[in-house]
Amino acid sequence: MAAYIIRRLFSVIPITLGVLLLVFLIYRVIGGDPAVRLAGKNATPQKIEQIRKQFGYDKPKFFNWQEAAKTGRPMAVFDAQFWQIVRQFAQLDFGRSLQSNQRISRMIADGVVPSLCITTPIFVIELFVAVALALLCAFYRNSWIDRTFVVISIIGMSISSLVYIMLGQYFFAFELGWFPVWGFESVHYVLLPVAIGIIYSLGGSLRFYRTIMLDEMYQDYVRTAFAKGASQRQVLFKHVLKNAAIPILTNVVVAIPFLYTGSLMLESFFGIPGLGRMTVDAIYTGDEPVLFAMVFIGSVIFVIANLITDLCYTWADPRIRLQ
Amino acid sequence: MLSALPFYTTGCGSSVASGGKPGEMVYYTEGGDIKGFDPVRASDVDSALAVCKIYEGLVEYDYLYRPYRVVPRLAESLPEVSADGLTYTFRIKKGVRFQDDPCFPGGKGREVTAEDFIYSFKRLMDAKNLATGSWVFAGRVVGADEWTKASEDRSKPTDYSRPIPGFEAPSRYTLRIRLLEPYPQLLWVLTMQYTFVMPREAVEFYKDDLLNHPVGTGPYRLKRWQRNYRMEFERNPTFHGQLYPSEGAPGDREKGLLADAGKPLPFIDRVIFYNVREYYTWWQMFLRGQIFTVGISKDYFNKVVNTDLDLTPDMVKRGILLRKEPQMDVYYLGFNWEDPVVGGGKTPEEAVRHRKLRQAITCSFNQEQIKETYAGRMIPSCGPITPGTTGYDSKKTYPWRFNLDLARKLLAEAGYPDGKDARTGKRLHLSLDMGGAGDAEARQLGEMYVNFVRQIGVEMTINFSLQPEHWRKLERKETQMFSAGWVMDYPDAQNVLQLWYGPNESPGVNHCNYKNPEFDKLYRSILTMQDSPERTAIYQKMADMVVEDCPSAFMFHRLIYALLRDYVENFKPHDFPYPNVKFYKVRPH
Repeated sequence: MAAYIIRRLFSVIPITLGVLLLVFLIYRVIGGDPAVRLAGKNATPQKIEQIRKQFGYDKPKFFNWQEAAKTGRPMAVFDAQFWQIVRQFAQLDFGRSLQSNQRISRMIADGVVPSLCITTPIFVIELFVAVALALLCAFYRNSWIDRTFVVISIIGMSISSLVYIMLGQYFFAFELGWFPVWGFESVHYVLLPVAIGIIYSLGGSLRFYRTIMLDEMYQDYVRTAFAKGASQRQVLFKHVLKNAAIPILTNVVVAIPFLYTGSLMLESFFGIPGLGRMTVDAIYTGDEPVLFAMVFIGSVIFVIANLITDLCYTWADPRIRLQ
Repeated sequence: MLSALPFYTTGCGSSVASGGKPGEMVYYTEGGDIKGFDPVRASDVDSALAVCKIYEGLVEYDYLYRPYRVVPRLAESLPEVSADGLTYTFRIKKGVRFQDDPCFPGGKGREVTAEDFIYSFKRLMDAKNLATGSWVFAGRVVGADEWTKASEDRSKPTDYSRPIPGFEAPSRYTLRIRLLEPYPQLLWVLTMQYTFVMPREAVEFYKDDLLNHPVGTGPYRLKRWQRNYRMEFERNPTFHGQLYPSEGAPGDREKGLLADAGKPLPFIDRVIFYNVREYYTWWQMFLRGQIFTVGISKDYFNKVVNTDLDLTPDMVKRGILLRKEPQMDVYYLGFNWEDPVVGGGKTPEEAVRHRKLRQAITCSFNQEQIKETYAGRMIPSCGPITPGTTGYDSKKTYPWRFNLDLARKLLAEAGYPDGKDARTGKRLHLSLDMGGAGDAEARQLGEMYVNFVRQIGVEMTINFSLQPEHWRKLERKETQMFSAGWVMDYPDAQNVLQLWYGPNESPGVNHCNYKNPEFDKLYRSILTMQDSPERTAIYQKMADMVVEDCPSAFMFHRLIYALLRDYVENFKPHDFPYPNVKFYKVRPH
């Protein structure tokens, strides 16, 4: 088990290298010159050149063969832009934002709590509600209750999240005044965005979990359980739920990295100073160090979350052995 | 350089709501995310608005007087200028103190001296600080460029004891600036936040965290800042004082703008910035009275403004006022001078044909239709000089204004009769790059451009990009045509004319990559000319050259429509409004 965990943790290295390379290709190879952005509006070509030199943007993108030949040091071949970023990230130094010059680690630390304040309750409540409703649908399968939930979930999935947000904000905050229109001052401020977040994500999850539950309901072991005289309730909670745990776990883990990246729409409309807004701003302004940091952390979380899922599989299904 | 079309901005206005302790004047404003409180990097509007509440410079704009003029702020008076225009001597006000801060011994702010300005100017020129405003002194002040060069070495700290010969402090309260050549825009640029004074103690105490801990002399100090969300400023108890102006522009007295003449500033006790992103949210907050001013987006325009371009009765009943403010900016479509089809041309004959092609395309653009689409929120542009700037002539007509007959004639003369290449018979196909991908207004505008040129038989493809990608294409000269805009840094046409100065070609600001030796010669000459009818005539001549050569099709200047709550007093639109909150007053409501 320990060897498995260590091996999986090592997979962080190629995965993060891969995503860093991808972002590097998009922003530094295909994309523009960060020196121009740093230099500002009235910058002269000399000023841009000076910044290029100062930050190493004038170095080769991947391999500095010239420097290696000049100095006679083979390792100087890595004195290039991409490896400079890799070295920096290996030391967990995310650098500074091109846009604000703030330390990115501080920006992330400031933004992660507001993001989690929104995404975590949405994630947890929505998971429990969706699984509970899916069980209810399975319990009353093919009845009017099941069909009603199916119709509601399809409608829920078909409507854009923007509609929920705008209508929710208009009626409950602007018209009725039950919640603040905008802000992040206390629990009261997050209730409406969380409620809206749960409502708009519930439809898809309910459909997914209902399918899993119904799929399990037609398995042989369920038939056997019923044949042995087990009640519907016993079958659902003791057998079906446990066997459905693996696809549920898989679905849950896929969502975990997105908890940290925040919810862009909710954050933007309700004034939540989270990482979703920060990341999208970075995309719009070409703030590549922020994007590098976000994808790096995202990929690390993803690998760790996957590892935890694998470990949970062994709990959910004792037949699974990690090797 | 701008290419999205923020017609719904409030023209750097602000917003207010009720709240606060009884008797306390609180001012709630909408503001974007800022780059931090380091004046040397505060190049965007929101950062400038924040920085200018806390820091001050030698001079500032007169709040009420028009045309714009500069008045002393931390200087006792306007500078003495030597006969050759190369030396400016400022007397610094005595008794001005930096705000109290832990960076000072005992936490008590000390007096500002001329040496503090020299230190602040050195910070601006220090290459390690990545100052976006270093252009204000680069190539202008004696020894400034050499000092910057010496500061580039990242292996050792910059030596601040090394003097910049152009900045001298002959006495504790005297500051002398020596220039390499006359710099008529010097006083304008000294109003900019880049040149504001900051104490060395703060820089050394806060180090890299300086941008989160402003220590200035201004009317406010930072109380709380939550990035991406909220900034709160409170009255600086050690502010050295300022009085509301006693002189204004004609009509100001009648509007009540001089009612508080001679009263001490600031009037408002607390200023709170909220970083609201979505216009929809912004609008609801305004209607609920949580903010006092809001720009009017295209989608909301007809709901609040009637066909006579006045407020609807419902808005009037709510105590809302309408602001209409022409902006000191220009939006244009640029032609890449290096492009083989629309560029400058390699031979004199080709140059003439290409020029006629650019003129023909410009003639096909219907500015009036664009104006109608934008509900009148623009002034059709006749050239590069912006409204409110010396040399701008509102009566001037654009020779390439919408005229399909002329467009077809010029197109035929350019070798494309009916839009087809006379040599190959192939239809002319152009491409236009626009920023603001995903923005509905930009898309609508792009579709209009396509339809305009189609009327003269030319096809056009619009390439929409996100702003960084759009910049990248401009920097690399990868466009054939592009949309762009310029917001003036100071009210002098030189600021916008630099966009066509040859040596400023991409990645500099001349994204048209326009090259005209005669224009360049004139540009160099105006750099050292003081404001005079002669200089204005040269500005107009240069503008005419750009219009005639047509490296850019001039489209419009923005006319901002915004709403304002009637309980805000002393509000006067200003193109450089950064420190102006100190003049505003909030009536109990």
